[in-house]
Amino acid sequence: MKLFTKYSRINLLITVAIFILASIAYAFLLRYVMIEFVNDNLKIEQREIETFVSRYNKLPEIIHVQEQEVSYAPVAGPMPKHKFTSIRLWEPDEKKLELFRQITFTVQVSGQWYLAKVAISMEDMGDMIRLILVITIVTILLILMMTALINRVVLKHLWKPFYETLATINNFQLGNKNKIQLSQTNIDEFDLMNKTLDESLNKAENDYLLLKEFTANASHELQTPLAIVRSKMDILIQDENLSESQSKAAQSAYDAIQRMAKLNQSLLLLAKIENKQFEDVAIINLKEKIKTKLDDFFELWQSKHLTIKKDLSDCEIQMNPLLIEIMLNNLLSNATKHNIQDGQISITLTAKKLIIANTNDAPELDEKQLFTRFYKNSVTSDNGLGLCIAKQICDLNGFVLSYHYQNYQHTFSIDF
Amino acid sequence: MKILIIEDEKALANSIATYLGNDNYVCELAPSFDVALEKTSLYDYACIILDITLPDGNGLEILKHLKKQNKTDGVLIISAKNSLDDKVQGLRTGADDYLSKPFHLPELAARVEAIIRRKSFSGQNIIEFDEISVDLDAKQVSVNNKNIDLTRKEYDLLIYFMANKNKVISKGAIAEHLWGDNMDIADNYDFIYAHIKNLRKKLLQADCPDYIQSVYGMGYKFGIPK
Repeated sequence: MKLFTKYSRINLLITVAIFILASIAYAFLLRYVMIEFVNDNLKIEQREIETFVSRYNKLPEIIHVQEQEVSYAPVAGPMPKHKFTSIRLWEPDEKKLELFRQITFTVQVSGQWYLAKVAISMEDMGDMIRLILVITIVTILLILMMTALINRVVLKHLWKPFYETLATINNFQLGNKNKIQLSQTNIDEFDLMNKTLDESLNKAENDYLLLKEFTANASHELQTPLAIVRSKMDILIQDENLSESQSKAAQSAYDAIQRMAKLNQSLLLLAKIENKQFEDVAIINLKEKIKTKLDDFFELWQSKHLTIKKDLSDCEIQMNPLLIEIMLNNLLSNATKHNIQDGQISITLTAKKLIIANTNDAPELDEKQLFTRFYKNSVTSDNGLGLCIAKQICDLNGFVLSYHYQNYQHTFSIDF
Repeated sequence: MKILIIEDEKALANSIATYLGNDNYVCELAPSFDVALEKTSLYDYACIILDITLPDGNGLEILKHLKKQNKTDGVLIISAKNSLDDKVQGLRTGADDYLSKPFHLPELAARVEAIIRRKSFSGQNIIEFDEISVDLDAKQVSVNNKNIDLTRKEYDLLIYFMANKNKVISKGAIAEHLWGDNMDIADNYDFIYAHIKNLRKKLLQADCPDYIQSVYGMGYKFGIPK
């Protein structure tokens, strides 16, 4: 839920509650004031009747006035105090029951007590109260709507820098070398946020560059010692006096150096890809390229008794010639190394897609981890960088490399 | 023939000198930029193995000096950088070949031999080993003047062997030479065996002695059998 929606919801709920309570209180207050007003009028009527009685010693004549009812009835004794009641009386003019406010009091005329009742219609006042309430509610609704509208417009405008920052960060990628540019706002909170983000992102970027530099430098520095060890091994195996066990030991050491050289080469390659050192692109006829690769791998597949199924259509892509070479090598090496004896590799190329699938009895691999560095799911001499490099190359060229699994078929596909 | 090894890493320079040194080649070492500059100015070499990153200077400068003096020494650059720029720049400045560290010594030997051959034989491009003769231009192999048919890989393998006579070449070095170092196949070299077997069979059929010997599963040696 958006912050604004959440805020609006809470805001609306509370406002409506307050307004409803206020309206109810207002209605009661209004009614109270009205009744007090009518009561005062009734008291004036009472005083007039009493004045009339004391002056003329008789009850005043009942004059029929609209919305006012007067009646007298003899009673045994006086009432201690006058009494107000709300009653409904038949109004012949309107031909319906109407709400009246009535005062009841006793008055003595020539020793005889009379119960006097004076009632005044409150129908008009009810109408007024209702009118006032309607006006109030309409005003409240109008205010609510206007507030919501203004909030929406104003908040949208106020939050604009926030969303801009968010969009900038979204596009931010470590090692991209593009410095992020967070715009200056005139709102302190956003400026503070942008400043903090700016600092931490730039720090992350710097750390990342340092780390990358370190990896590249370490790999570079390893090349020379590796070259020395390998050359010494090449000299060592020339010795005709080596025993069989010495030869085997030498062979193991030689293989290990080979792996290390390969690993180092891969790390350097990754660093170079990340540093965008392969900017020269050419138009590559992928079909021809794959055909040459098939020839290169032919012996390898033969020795593993792998069946190759190929379906190649014409496809031209634009990328660095060395990188496409490396990418195909890595994917095909991967399909070869992780295959089973008498297994199968199928290669499908269309104008928009390259699919390389291999058989393996291993269960489905974790796609999230598959393309990370040094991911290994089996005991092989594989250094776990091949797929990572392939992925990096794809990313660099805007291709999508994905993995699928079905029925012991591990499929890697590239969408160009 | 003299070969100059310009390399500041003594251990590596010694390895190269030991491997390349034989009846034909005499290796000299130049461990620094200054020594290298002096030697290249004073003497002529059949091939100069040049490390670009020297502690007291850039190897490319030596190359430039050579070109300025119109020297025709063959130059093979070896570099730990393995960067395309270095390679392109080196070859543009006049180097004959480029090899990145860590390399296999047989590979280095093959490259050096190819450079020397290109520089010294102006006429026919033929290499010979006893009864085997290879015409590099025609890519034709003959034994006792009788042509034999080799596949592309067998032919490359034979040339590689002939550049490393009487040396044990590891399977890794052979694989890398024939398939390039981008192919990630380090776990299994069985597939090399088929090519070796076929080449050996063809040579034997042409009445060659059994030149190719397997060495304890470590690699192969091409030379006159004892």
